Amino acid sequence: MIVPRLRIVEVRKSFGATQALRQVSLSVGPGEVHALIGENGAGKSTLMKILSAAHLQDSGDIQLDGNFYAPRTPQAARSAGVAMIYQELSLVPHLSVEENILLGSEPRQWGWIDRKERRRRAVSALEQLHQSHLPLDAPVHQLPIARQQMVEIARALIGSPRVLIMDEPTSSLSKEDTKVLFKVILRLRDRGVSIIYISHFLEECLELATHYTVLRDGESVGTGRMKREALPEITRLMVGRELNEIYPHTPHAIGAPLLEVTQLKGVKKPLNVSFKLRSGEILGIAGIVGAGRTETLRALFGLDPQIGGDVKLRGICCNRLPPRAWLQRRVGYLSENRKEEGLMLHRNIGDNLFLSNYRPCISGGFIKQRRQESLAARWISLLGIKARHPSQNLHELSGGNQQKVALGRLLHHDAEILLLDEPTRGIDVGSKSQIYKTMGELAAKGKSVVFISSYLPELLGVCDTIGVMCRGTLSALRPASEWTEQDIVAAAIGQNEN
Amino acid sequence: MKPFFLRLVVILGCLICTVPATGAGKNLTIAVIPKGTSHEFWKSIHAGAVKAKRELEDQGYKINLIWKGPIREDDRDQQIAVVENFIARRVDGIVLAPLDSSALVAPVETALSVNIPVVIVDSGLKSDRYSSYIATDNYHGGELGAEHLAKIINGIGKIILVRYQVGSASTEEREAGFMNTMTNKYPRIKILSQNQYAGPTRDSAYKAAQDLLNRYGKDVNGIFAPCEPVTIGVMLALRDMGKAGGIVKLVGFDAGTQSVDGLSKGDVQGLVVQNPMKMGYLGVKAIVDVAQKKKVVKKVDTGVHVITKENMDQMENRELLHPPLDQYLK
Amino acid sequence: MKTEIPTSSTGHLDRFNLARAVQMLGPFLVLAFVIGFFAVIMPSEISQTFFSAYNFKLILTQTVIVAIGSLGMTMIIVSGGIDLSVGSVVALTSVLGAVLIKAGVSMGAMIVAVLATGGMIGLINGTIISLFRMTPFIVTLGMLGIARGLAKKLADNQTVNLPDIALPSVGMFMADPAPNGYYVAPGIAIAIDLAIIMALVLNRSVFGRYIFAIGSNEATARLCGVRTRLVKLSVYMLSGVFFGLAGLMQFSRLRQGDPSTAVGIELDMIAAVVIGGASLNGGTGSIMGSMIGALTMAVLRSGSTQIDWPNYVQEIIIGVVIILAVGLDKWRQSRSQS
Repeated sequence: MIVPRLRIVEVRKSFGATQALRQVSLSVGPGEVHALIGENGAGKSTLMKILSAAHLQDSGDIQLDGNFYAPRTPQAARSAGVAMIYQELSLVPHLSVEENILLGSEPRQWGWIDRKERRRRAVSALEQLHQSHLPLDAPVHQLPIARQQMVEIARALIGSPRVLIMDEPTSSLSKEDTKVLFKVILRLRDRGVSIIYISHFLEECLELATHYTVLRDGESVGTGRMKREALPEITRLMVGRELNEIYPHTPHAIGAPLLEVTQLKGVKKPLNVSFKLRSGEILGIAGIVGAGRTETLRALFGLDPQIGGDVKLRGICCNRLPPRAWLQRRVGYLSENRKEEGLMLHRNIGDNLFLSNYRPCISGGFIKQRRQESLAARWISLLGIKARHPSQNLHELSGGNQQKVALGRLLHHDAEILLLDEPTRGIDVGSKSQIYKTMGELAAKGKSVVFISSYLPELLGVCDTIGVMCRGTLSALRPASEWTEQDIVAAAIGQNEN
Repeated sequence: MKPFFLRLVVILGCLICTVPATGAGKNLTIAVIPKGTSHEFWKSIHAGAVKAKRELEDQGYKINLIWKGPIREDDRDQQIAVVENFIARRVDGIVLAPLDSSALVAPVETALSVNIPVVIVDSGLKSDRYSSYIATDNYHGGELGAEHLAKIINGIGKIILVRYQVGSASTEEREAGFMNTMTNKYPRIKILSQNQYAGPTRDSAYKAAQDLLNRYGKDVNGIFAPCEPVTIGVMLALRDMGKAGGIVKLVGFDAGTQSVDGLSKGDVQGLVVQNPMKMGYLGVKAIVDVAQKKKVVKKVDTGVHVITKENMDQMENRELLHPPLDQYLK
Repeated sequence: MKTEIPTSSTGHLDRFNLARAVQMLGPFLVLAFVIGFFAVIMPSEISQTFFSAYNFKLILTQTVIVAIGSLGMTMIIVSGGIDLSVGSVVALTSVLGAVLIKAGVSMGAMIVAVLATGGMIGLINGTIISLFRMTPFIVTLGMLGIARGLAKKLADNQTVNLPDIALPSVGMFMADPAPNGYYVAPGIAIAIDLAIIMALVLNRSVFGRYIFAIGSNEATARLCGVRTRLVKLSVYMLSGVFFGLAGLMQFSRLRQGDPSTAVGIELDMIAAVVIGGASLNGGTGSIMGSMIGALTMAVLRSGSTQIDWPNYVQEIIIGVVIILAVGLDKWRQSRSQS
């Protein structure tokens, strides 16, 4: 039998009373892409933190190439050959690509940075990824997110890792960029690097991985060879129950136009966006990252300047209204960037739910804490938010539950029109399904949804109508049933549709 | 006869009450509150207070002497707080050098209202209910400074008065004495500047002096500094400009290590010197007298003298220039 | 779709609220520690007077100015800002009060003018900060110089002394009406009343929640329809009124207008707010905590003066307590999270 590259045996870890990892075992061979699958909160990030030496396990063994592996610091983990790529990129925005790649492992001579050697190593790292075209001297914040990720991967390659762990690497990538990333991953695999690939996208795992392990509630509940036939089993293991319908369909009727947007133009993007949103309609907008989808909603909602075009709500001109005015007209926006714009992580669930509309919590001119908590508790159960208490701070919740709170705010506000920008990014299947279901229910009540997503199956599964954005312009809208994935991709990258 | 009788009363009182009666006993807690703690002037007052304490202890008293200045040395509010805290602690007497003649009136009157005697030293207070006021006749000090400066520039020339700080009664009196003497007695002396304030520290005085000399350095013949930090600040600025050593005559106020050093080197042509040790000494004594229900003099002048390089080695002047601080402050 | 509904069984709920309550108690623990510390190390003859009703009143009086200023500073820090100009504003408004009284203006008109001036300066700070998007640190640093300069100009570079006849009415706010009785100076009552009102405003009013929202995440607040600029402007203006009131109290305490007073008092207020559990990143903080923080520092100062410690010991101890209090808070938070 071959010695596995990485072997994790019955690792346990508790934080106070909560058991984050009950019993996790995992074995990854050399040059193997191993998919680690599980809902948010299943213990994936705890496991990652143990591997990167941020935590120490309570019991259990980890072996790297047959040797005992117990790094004390993240540096030690890196030099032992275990590298991480986190979902939230950890680059220094104002440093250049080259500086970021060698951050923390700068070649030194007499205490000074050896600039020539640094450049050589940066270039060779990018070459391994076939990404030599990246501008080495540009500050990384000027690069698109997909390029930034390549920088992050290049940095991981500096220590010639034996194991590379990637957490949701495609969550903010478009299909195109994802393909490039996959090529890079396969190239690394062919060079003998073992890769642990954490993702919610089962399709992706199927494409990349040879093996999988499913984590649920801090336990490894199943492992095996990755193949299409295993998918239903994996889904069942993940959620611990049958998931018949990821995309639950609530029948809803489409009514009269509510919101009419004509030739909307922003500062750089969008260039030309026109659409009509009808009551009870779920309108999907597809496109690659950078096509101008987010910018469209931001210009519409008054977060970025609107340069040209017309916006009409129920036939009344509503150009250049600030967010406050939109909310008064019962139009709500959910940002793609929920941590920076959308949630107050250090405030409690109630405050996050009611910020745009405290009225129901007020009595006698003051906000009543009790009433706020009981109202919050109602939304918590309605949306299936996993929380200990309505006054729990938001940063203690998992990403999916945070997103449910953000969505809950629009529901509490009783918005007629919901502008949802990537509402399912980076959250687990269970939470996703809950959000799809909510969208359907809203439509059934005659409310309208604009749904931006980079994940085509969900657009096709949920939307009534889909438009595709490409280079700042929105294509003509067509019913979802008339689109295929191939059509959407072709339209998104600007190939002729016919 | 009288002390014996008093002692008898106290002993009886103690036997009856079993707690020492405050105020009338030989066991006294006295707080001495200067304006600041870092200048040598205040250390001299401290030394004087310690001297009084030792003498009193030789006479069989038990004195607990507390020396406490405000944290921020030019902050009236802080000094008020210090006085209040000692009222709360019910000390047997307070010797106070008020930072401000008006702002400290209220806390002093509070102290008097709960029968804590207060002796004012160094600077005046706009009240007359305190027990005694022991200070230099500052106005006279200013007069002496003006006379001396006029003498060494031979009654003719251009001079500058660098004022100390707004609201400091003692230096304002010196400045007034100086100005009145100059304008009334010496019409041939022109005053180039008399409205600039040096601020509380040597550093602020140094900067102010630099600025003034930058402007008037070419014309000026003499400078009067109304207290120690200003004297030193001006001296340093003169040295920087190469105008020290008598090219520009400097008459300062108060003796400190640096200003005395300047005097002996010839950078300072005269110092008007007070007797701070005597203030501290008499202040503590006065409190004890009040506690013993003795009569105390309402206003005591501790005297001022002009000391020059020529007479600085005379016995009595040496004592004033180099108060024996080490002997009393460890 | 089956999802776990949170079971808010009462036992669970109580434990959660208990943990919250313990967190709220943090500043009290620090105060209790300081008092306990003095109780242990003070010789009995000093502790007798230190733990007396009179001294308690005295400490409260000494807290009033910092406490009133901390009400405004808490709002500003919670909103994610800072105000460094408070000391200068206190000096300016106290000088203004003295100048007006000297000119024969009535007490009532003087109070209105002083509060309005404080609010005016706050309005200027707030306008520059919110409309021109400049850093509060820089704007108020500039105002620190401007207001101090104006105070000196207004006072003609010296203390403004009042005619004797005006002293009792001016001094009334901070004077102890009965040194041996239980009545306290009106300033103390004003500070406590305002603290209660502000605690309600900050915790229970929509305006208060908006302040927290802006301090937590300004982009989110904007997205949720909060008029962030208007709220920030109001925060600085309202705080300015409190700083003006602090200036009035300073004037009443000194019974003169002193343009050099209250230098660095803003740092005491910031320290009080931070000891009270606020974060300088904004989004957290409480009025109650800040008040306890201000009281803690006053107790420390009073205690170390009465125990005869030299000034430098007192300064070092206060510095240590600030760091310990904030460190303790961080430590508790990290424990409650893991």
